[in-house]
Amino acid sequence: MANEKPKLKVAIYWGAACGGCCVSVLDVHEKLFDVVAAADLVFWPIALDFKYKDVEAMPDKHIDVTLYNGAVRNSENEHIAKLLRQKSKIMVAYGSCAHMGGIPGLANFTTKEDLFKRVYEETESTVNPDKVRPVPKYKVPEGELELPEFYNDVRALDQVVDVDYYLPGCPPQTERFVEVFMAIVTGAELPPPGSVVGANEKTLCDECERKQTENKLIKEFKRPWEIQDDGETCFLEQGVICMGPATRGGCGARCIEGNAPCRGCYGPPSTSPDPGAKMMSAIATMIDSNEEDEITTIVDQIADPAGTFYRFSLPGSIFRRKLFEKE
Amino acid sequence: MEFEPTIVSFLCNWCSYTGADLAGTSRMKYAHNVRVIRVMCSGRVEPTFVFKAFREGADGVLICGCHPGDCHYHEGNYKCLRRYHLIKKYLDQMGIEQDRLRLAWISASEGKQFAELADEMTETIKSLGPCKVKNVMETLT
Amino acid sequence: MEEVRIGVYVCWCGSNIAKMVDVEEVSREVEKLPGVVIAKDYKYMCSDPGQDLIIQDIKKHNLNRVVVSACSPRIHELTFRKALENAGLNQYMFEMANIREHVSWVHTDRAEATKKAKTLVAGAINRVKWHESLDKRHVDIDPATLIIGGGISGISAALEIANAGKQVYLVEKADKIGGYVAKLDLTFPHMYSGKDMIQPKIDKVMNHEKIEVFLNSMIDEVFGYVGNFEATVKAKDEKEIKFGNVIVATGLKPFDPSGIDNYQYGKLPDIITSLELEEMFINGQVTKKDGTIPKNIALIHCVGSRNTNYHEYCSRTCCMSALKYANQLRSALPESNIFNIYADIRAFGKGCEEFYTNTSKKNVMFLMYDQQNDLPKIKKAGTGDNCDMIIEMNEKLSGEAIEVPADMVVLMVGMKAHENAKEIAHAVGISMCGNEFYIERHPKLDPVATTTDGVYIVGTCQSPKDIPDSVTQANAAAARVLATINVAHMEVEVTTAVVNEDVCCGCQTCINVCPYTAISYDEEKNVSVVNEILCKGCGTCGSACPTGAIRSRHFTDEQILSQIEGLMSMQLQI
Repeated sequence: MANEKPKLKVAIYWGAACGGCCVSVLDVHEKLFDVVAAADLVFWPIALDFKYKDVEAMPDKHIDVTLYNGAVRNSENEHIAKLLRQKSKIMVAYGSCAHMGGIPGLANFTTKEDLFKRVYEETESTVNPDKVRPVPKYKVPEGELELPEFYNDVRALDQVVDVDYYLPGCPPQTERFVEVFMAIVTGAELPPPGSVVGANEKTLCDECERKQTENKLIKEFKRPWEIQDDGETCFLEQGVICMGPATRGGCGARCIEGNAPCRGCYGPPSTSPDPGAKMMSAIATMIDSNEEDEITTIVDQIADPAGTFYRFSLPGSIFRRKLFEKE
Repeated sequence: MEFEPTIVSFLCNWCSYTGADLAGTSRMKYAHNVRVIRVMCSGRVEPTFVFKAFREGADGVLICGCHPGDCHYHEGNYKCLRRYHLIKKYLDQMGIEQDRLRLAWISASEGKQFAELADEMTETIKSLGPCKVKNVMETLT
Repeated sequence: MEEVRIGVYVCWCGSNIAKMVDVEEVSREVEKLPGVVIAKDYKYMCSDPGQDLIIQDIKKHNLNRVVVSACSPRIHELTFRKALENAGLNQYMFEMANIREHVSWVHTDRAEATKKAKTLVAGAINRVKWHESLDKRHVDIDPATLIIGGGISGISAALEIANAGKQVYLVEKADKIGGYVAKLDLTFPHMYSGKDMIQPKIDKVMNHEKIEVFLNSMIDEVFGYVGNFEATVKAKDEKEIKFGNVIVATGLKPFDPSGIDNYQYGKLPDIITSLELEEMFINGQVTKKDGTIPKNIALIHCVGSRNTNYHEYCSRTCCMSALKYANQLRSALPESNIFNIYADIRAFGKGCEEFYTNTSKKNVMFLMYDQQNDLPKIKKAGTGDNCDMIIEMNEKLSGEAIEVPADMVVLMVGMKAHENAKEIAHAVGISMCGNEFYIERHPKLDPVATTTDGVYIVGTCQSPKDIPDSVTQANAAAARVLATINVAHMEVEVTTAVVNEDVCCGCQTCINVCPYTAISYDEEKNVSVVNEILCKGCGTCGSACPTGAIRSRHFTDEQILSQIEGLMSMQLQI
């Protein structure tokens, strides 16, 4: 069958991730047959047994598409990201963590030192009288053991290597992944490199079924459990912060359908220079007061602005991390 | 050498920018550290601008608008006031001293007040020292 | 995107800039920045040869962006925009860096000033890269005019416009027109009767077929834009009116002297304001509260004026009014002693210095005081004194502390802006100085227009002034209005907000934000829509938009963010 198109070579890797992104790929169910029919999986640590050295042995640009999920948190993540970039024609940042830093990126509110202290000394279940901590290199009689170096800062994938496409979501909607994948397989015209794929340019309100009005004036911010949600009214109009207006649609508004406000995992549209700032501005504008004292009272009801507006995107934001004295 | 801060300031066209012009036409002298960006209304200033200024190396950000009740566009300055307080809370969470951001009301006739404000803000920022945002960004692992 | 080709011009402004900023260095340094094709410095960029330089360079070097680094854009932005247009370039491909008002005039260290100038120019260069061509919009001018306030200024403007055959709506808060002039007995320096002067004008206005007068009426909000305003006149019966221009003539409010402790106003019976004296003259009798004739009358100047505790400004008319009263009192009460207790005599108007000279020959005593630091003090006279009150003062010319006898004290109160000034400013969208007088578009070159197209300010709402100045200003504004009506259309700014329908998600956050109700929701498309005619370009909706779908034209995110970048990049480079 000389005419048959050669199969795509696909790699999937997880950096600092929860595994949900890999599961979202598995979630294609029987469509997996289509995927496998069109593609050879040449590297997928969570599902198949390959060694890094197998990848290292590949010629450059040998892999057609790499789906990299997870943030870059340690030297291993970084090494593999760079390796896969070198070996791949198309590098896709798959899921919120690779896209903007994601939930692991919230570690940028703290430091490596504080994290280690908590994990290796302070947690209630830890017994570590000698305060042993992981070190990158450790000599044992059999030789030298090596562990990846844990970095102080979490980074999004494009802060480490060039990224061709972003497929957002925590995790990406499987249907959208299949769409994108099939587009690549069928040789459909791809958007310009740097584009977000598998998500809408319009934000979530566009597909949200809840009733929208102009009545977005907020006297009191509430947490979701503090309202008697009627299941129909826009969350913002009930005083609950919903990231929907500032977050790309394409997810099918699944959180909203589950009566939870959007948390922003699909990230901002291309018109936002920073993932959280536009929503922060919009939310502040909705505060229904011109009195400074009352304004500060209302602002104080937003318990954690940074965590609210940058839940999935702190490393990808303008500031990228919290500053600490010693820095 | 003494630390000379850079303060990026956003001035509304109708009151504050005119006030700063008046400081000039009245030949008042003030610290050279303030760099002005003109916007039509303080209501145009959004968090992104403030963050960007710090990210690019500003040590302080000053926003000036018309006095409450005097906004050329009725209420733009109140929108700015609301954003200002949320931005401040966020800056604090990000480890950036809240005093690096200031919102002040300067009318078109308050050239003197603008000059004094520029001096005052410069002193405040000098006592805080350089803002580290840009440096930290450049050394992220 | 086309290749960016920027020309940068650094102005010396004679020595105004060049003295404190090394303009040659600025131009030399910024020429190295990406996108800059040519950078020059020149003595006066705003002069004809300066503008020609830009025009020639645009043609010769194929420039598509221009930065002028000179004075405030509030002064010459339009000048240079016109130059661009003359060279066939869209006028919005221009940006100004203000290195005079914000640099050379306010700093003293030449090296630092030069450095700052460079950063501002670098910011402007970075910003102009993102500028885009915008088309001017032509609007038709409704030939009717709204005049707010029926004093001498409003009346003069109304007659001028109506006599040219154009409709005027005159809205007056009180139950009659005529204002303060109708309450004047005589006017300085010619001693004409104020009432007689204005009455025929009042009659003409009330009966003019082209003037509709609304008494006991107010305007609460003016909608629209130059040429196409509309408002509701609030009175017994509300009426919708449409008009193309607005003349604001809301006038003055006299200073209330009760707050000045030294002057005992309201506490001692025969201490009165100049307005109360005026009323006595109109009623034909100057007497004390007890009906007797005052033997000693003191006129205290500068009450509430020229003193930072009250108002720093000079009210301009009180000196001459006080001299007028001295004359009137001299004829009405030939036996009485008249004291003019003054700070400085300001007799600048036509015929006024002569009036002062004549008055000083009429047995009127002039005593000088220090109105900044040492106000006279009025107290009740003792039983042995041959008068009701004693004014203690330090007479400045003799250097002696003296006591002036008085049976009546007239406080020459200054002028304040009208109590409705603020409300009206909001209704028509104009600005006030700190003291609530309205701000003119340019203090020297455009003193009757405001920064809001189609809105003019005349009379004492702009600053204290006398009758001839008020009438002059009223007629000037009328001429401006008639000129726009004559041309019938004009160009307006297009730096409005615009919605990118491909991004807008229909959340409607922006709708309540707009103070001009310029944004509405298109249900079918599920997007917000900006009415560009109502939009005044404040940009507040752009910053409220959570998606970035709303762009504030000429103040876009890209333009401002890259201006910040430019500003800071130069800063660190040097």
